[in-house]
Amino acid sequence: VQVWLLLVALGAAVVSGIQVVWQTHEVRRLHAEMEDMHTKQDELLAEYSRLLLERSTLAAYQNVERIAQTELAMQFPETVERLDQ
Amino acid sequence: MKVWRHYLLVVVFLGFCAALVARVGYLNVANSEFLQEQGDARTIRTVSMPAFRGVIYDRNGEPLAVSTPVMSIWADPSLKRLDIQGVDRLAGILGIDPVGLQMDLAANPNREFLYIKRRANWNEYQQVLEAKIPGVHFQREYRRYYPASDTAAQVVGITNIDDQGLEGVELAFNEQLRGQYGSKVVLKDRRGEIVKDLEYLEAPRFGKDLELSIDLRLQVLAHRELRSAIERHQAASGSVVMADAHTGEILAMVNEPSYNPNDPADATRVGLRNQAITDTYEPGSTMKPFTVLAALASGRWHADTQIPTSPGTFRVGRLLVRDPVNRGTITLLQALQKSSQVAIAKVALDLDERAVFEVMSRVGLGEYIGIGLPGESLGTLTDKGLRNPVIRTTLAYGYGLALSPLHLTQGYLTLASGGLRMPLTILRQNAPPRSERVIEESLAREVVTMMESVTAPEGTAPGARVSGYRVAGKTGTSRKVGVGGYDDKRHVALFAGMAPATDPRFVMVVVVNEPKGEAVGGGSVSGPVFGRIAAGALRLLGVRPDAEPVVI
Repeated sequence: VQVWLLLVALGAAVVSGIQVVWQTHEVRRLHAEMEDMHTKQDELLAEYSRLLLERSTLAAYQNVERIAQTELAMQFPETVERLDQ
Repeated sequence: MKVWRHYLLVVVFLGFCAALVARVGYLNVANSEFLQEQGDARTIRTVSMPAFRGVIYDRNGEPLAVSTPVMSIWADPSLKRLDIQGVDRLAGILGIDPVGLQMDLAANPNREFLYIKRRANWNEYQQVLEAKIPGVHFQREYRRYYPASDTAAQVVGITNIDDQGLEGVELAFNEQLRGQYGSKVVLKDRRGEIVKDLEYLEAPRFGKDLELSIDLRLQVLAHRELRSAIERHQAASGSVVMADAHTGEILAMVNEPSYNPNDPADATRVGLRNQAITDTYEPGSTMKPFTVLAALASGRWHADTQIPTSPGTFRVGRLLVRDPVNRGTITLLQALQKSSQVAIAKVALDLDERAVFEVMSRVGLGEYIGIGLPGESLGTLTDKGLRNPVIRTTLAYGYGLALSPLHLTQGYLTLASGGLRMPLTILRQNAPPRSERVIEESLAREVVTMMESVTAPEGTAPGARVSGYRVAGKTGTSRKVGVGGYDDKRHVALFAGMAPATDPRFVMVVVVNEPKGEAVGGGSVSGPVFGRIAAGALRLLGVRPDAEPVVI
């Protein structure tokens, strides 16, 4: 019986040892993954802010109005007119 | 002989072992703290984790202020890793003088940090990165861009180099907008690369975004019209404030002169100030609707009550009230339409001492408004000396008090909403405003209807009309106070109004300060600005025309 107990204890020690190794590895792996994601988040936010600026530059109302008037020859209606049905 | 050699070796080896154990024990036990510290000092670093400042949006989600990362490029002159070839390539990309850079590096051989270019933009950074020049390092910083540029400069404000708000919304909502840098403890290797994170001291906190009530489309429109009017009349400055008549949200707030917040060196003292809320003027005749309102509330006066104004002058104590021409006998409606000083003076003297003051104070003139921007002025509206008929008379046509364009907006907002006073705000609101009834609805509506006559062809501001819509408003022209009393040459031209008159969608106040030339009056200077902005705004907001349409 004592031999059995000893063997079980030995087995448990080995398993827990492997567990520790595995956990440490897992922590490292997950940490690296988190770092990657942090970096990615950062890059995406930076990208987003640049795109936001680019869009607002291109779609500035002054710009839209200029293109509408010069390239598309559009104009504001001078009076409100209504077609009667 | 063999035996003692054997023992000698054993003793020597044991001696070595003992020495090693002793040394290990010494390092680990006696000296461990000191060594641990020294080791950590070489490998463990606290690094900061950057965080963005929040974006400021307009009510439709257009960005007004955006932080974007930029890279500062630096080198370590003491390592001498940046060679002449590298300097040439770097200078070529960044467009700087290679000789100067080389000399800078040579002149500081002991420094470990030298900026080559601060806040290089992203394209430059990418190019330098791709060129893989040895000895070049990067440091991330943030730069704030203002896409709306000078259109909304005073409202949005600016930040300083440390990303803290200095002016406008950036200052007022700094706590909410600012990002808080986090920090963590890391293990670095000999080359300064991070090997492992040891501990997070503080997570970075990103700034919260902010949605303003400003509509950038209206802001652009108002700014353009104001600027062209100021050029046309060679005026010193001007402001336009537009507010939603249903919610009290500020839709546009523009000032001229302005500045480009992307280039703070451009900011002049005048341009930096949000004159729409900081500067006060005598409101002049724009106060007459409130006098008329007080008259109607008394029950003794009606729109068609006759008032004799002949011969065009009227004496109240030491004060001589004057109309530009003798208008004869006119109705109360015409007194408002033609802006007759004499008629309004007679109305004011007939009313209770406090009647006009009470109306003005109830609609919110001369009080702290609190839209949430720094530098808001209080204005002056007091009930001192109301027993004096001269004071009552001047108050009735808007002299002897000082209001900012924002106050005027608040007053007219109360008229436009049918007598409901609601708080003006610069932030976009999702819930209906807390409003308080301060004026009887029928009275407010009647005054608004009477104010429509001002923009009729025979009124003082036909230029404020908008085709297809009914526009109500009131002109005002006041002289500025100079040395020794009122200055006849310096005027303030005002127009305050609302559209469409049947169910106002917005109220707008236009102030042009010190116009020069023939036209200096509110009707001829500020009225047309109102008309042009209102025409565009009504179209942009999709407001249904309420005037008789032209049927084709």
